[in-house]
Amino acid sequence: MIITSNLSKKYNDTQVLHIESLDIPKGQSFGLVGNNGAGKTTYFSLLLDLIQPTTGYIKNNDVLVNESEDWKPFTSAFIDESFLIGYLTAEEYFYFIGELRGQNKSDVDALISQFEDFFHGEILNQKKYLRDLSKGNQKKAGIVAALIGNPEVIILDEPFANLDPTTQIRLKGIIKDLAETKGVTVLISSHDLMHVTDVCERIVVLEKGEVVKDLRTSAATLKELEAHFAGTETV
Amino acid sequence: MIKQFLSLEWKQFKRASYFQKGLAIKIFLILGALYFGGIALFMGVGMFFIARKAIPEVDPIVTINNFLIYWFLFELLIRYFMQQLPVMNVKPLMTIPVKKDTVIHYLLGKTTLSFFNFLSLFLFLPFSIVLLVEGYSPLNVVCWFLSIILLTLSINFLNFLVNKSNTVFYIAAPLLLGLVALEFYGIYTASEPMGIAFNTLYSQPYLAVIPLLLLVVLYKLNFKYVKSGFYLDDAVSKKVKAVEATDLSWFDRFGSIAPFLKNDIKLIWRNARPKQTMFMSFMFLFYGLVFYTQDMYREMPAILAFASMFVTGGFLMTFGQLVPSWDSEYYKLLMSQNIPYRKYLESKWYLMVVAVAISFVLSTPYIYFGWDIFGMIAAGALFNIGLNSFLTLFGGALNRIPVELNTKAKAFSNTNGFNPTQLLIGLPKFLLPMGLFYIPYKLVNFETGIIVLALSGIVGIVFKNFFLRKIENVYQDGKYKTIAAFSEKK
Repeated sequence: MIITSNLSKKYNDTQVLHIESLDIPKGQSFGLVGNNGAGKTTYFSLLLDLIQPTTGYIKNNDVLVNESEDWKPFTSAFIDESFLIGYLTAEEYFYFIGELRGQNKSDVDALISQFEDFFHGEILNQKKYLRDLSKGNQKKAGIVAALIGNPEVIILDEPFANLDPTTQIRLKGIIKDLAETKGVTVLISSHDLMHVTDVCERIVVLEKGEVVKDLRTSAATLKELEAHFAGTETV
Repeated sequence: MIKQFLSLEWKQFKRASYFQKGLAIKIFLILGALYFGGIALFMGVGMFFIARKAIPEVDPIVTINNFLIYWFLFELLIRYFMQQLPVMNVKPLMTIPVKKDTVIHYLLGKTTLSFFNFLSLFLFLPFSIVLLVEGYSPLNVVCWFLSIILLTLSINFLNFLVNKSNTVFYIAAPLLLGLVALEFYGIYTASEPMGIAFNTLYSQPYLAVIPLLLLVVLYKLNFKYVKSGFYLDDAVSKKVKAVEATDLSWFDRFGSIAPFLKNDIKLIWRNARPKQTMFMSFMFLFYGLVFYTQDMYREMPAILAFASMFVTGGFLMTFGQLVPSWDSEYYKLLMSQNIPYRKYLESKWYLMVVAVAISFVLSTPYIYFGWDIFGMIAAGALFNIGLNSFLTLFGGALNRIPVELNTKAKAFSNTNGFNPTQLLIGLPKFLLPMGLFYIPYKLVNFETGIIVLALSGIVGIVFKNFFLRKIENVYQDGKYKTIAAFSEKK
């Protein structure tokens, strides 16, 4: 589904990302881990064509991301708060995204009604603008908005950060369900190794912009990741 | 403590994004400040002689005193729209051992250095000096001057109360409007007793204590107000406003651009900055009053063409020049969503067209100045719709300065959306209507001028798709730069 080839990004001679080759098949739940500055958000921004690659390319479903816009209809993302429109209420925001993705009001209503659990009564009918919601609640709204319009690729940058424990557990259920039963390719990044191993079939570790590990998740994965980040890895 | 505050303030000033802009802008800002300062100075000196010449039988100081109330009203009005209580980054100060009172005194003290206070100083200091030179009693003049400055500062603090509390606003605004109306229709002239009051202030120097007392009282009120709100969940942090939900489904008839149109209407209605822009653009409607009433301009039809374009073009120009910037806070979303640029641009264009149409309807009272004037306004409106709209959108596309939606623009401390490119793009906006009118006017006659100006707008509408495509290309080319600039934190 997503093919990355010889991709690199430099800012004034400082290389922040260099991925020789990375293929993510359709329906995979893919996790990206790495310390701050490892290049996770840079990779996601390149995937969304928000920054220009210095070399190489990403193909999303055979569409060259930095040349065509045809990847937009089947791709959605929530990277940070700049994906929210602060002066709208959550409902208005969902309907707006829905309209952009060719969904009518009742389609959107049907979708968000599945997430009432996830919202925990703090998003809908709040008479509050998104800018006045707490960070965690903003995130909930953003994540659900990224699910509107049956996207085939969903990109979530640190979806677990700022969420309360109950919501984290529910989110894990949602992400698993998307990849396993609906065949959606889900890309997430996280600092929480436990969550990532719980949710993702495959985990890639980035370090200073390079892929240093590419793991198929198994029972031993969490241990291996912990050892890697603790710096006590035995070769 | 104050010393540390000052050093923080200096750093904030020095490192502010607007200060780190190009040299050209700095020079321009300095020139601008000099210009306005110079005008005030010139006016201050000239005021005495103008007053003496205009009404020779009355002592100039009396004349000035009679008109003083208008000056203060004007000042209050301008301040209400432009000046806000400066927001100090108070969060980090709340947890360290500084007395609240110190912070508040500092905060309020800082406001006395506002540009608006200096305006009064620039105006009345030279005037007072002229008075002294002309041999008026020094004691009276000095005390009068002090009173004026004290009153200016009182207005400074009064404005914050009016700005912060709706109750004060709803009491003060109708009262003032009522007085102005009574005065205008000659029922009751409130300016007369005010004139007498100011004259008494001059003739009885010791009365300067009254403005002093007023200032002290207003300062205390402000102090109390700020202190009572010195908590994070109060005045210091943003207020959470209840949602004003309106049914905009009527706009669905606009088809594929409907989602953007609905969004733009919410954008304007729910955010301080665009709301301010809308009110400012309303002021443009009165531009004609300046030009059409003076015989001097009657002889300069090119200037009239320019004024006529301004009457209906206020919103178009003030809102339009910041077109992608309005969406800067969520630009990444727009760029990764399924959005064709064309629809986005088209919806902004329709919004501007509607605004021109509304302004045009509101400008019908100008028929009073004659049908030729109104014909010019109509032609100007067509020019605005057909050409100016695209020029403005084009200029906006080159503008990559993020706008904070929910913060009012501050006068002279905010160069948001201002750069030399903008200035360059702005020139044809003024020169085109003048040229389009003036050349055929000179060659043929007045009517032809109007027709050519109107036709130019119609041609623009015919070539709408061509223009939109060109602007779209500018957007495409600058995409990464724009995203990067908009995500920069100031």
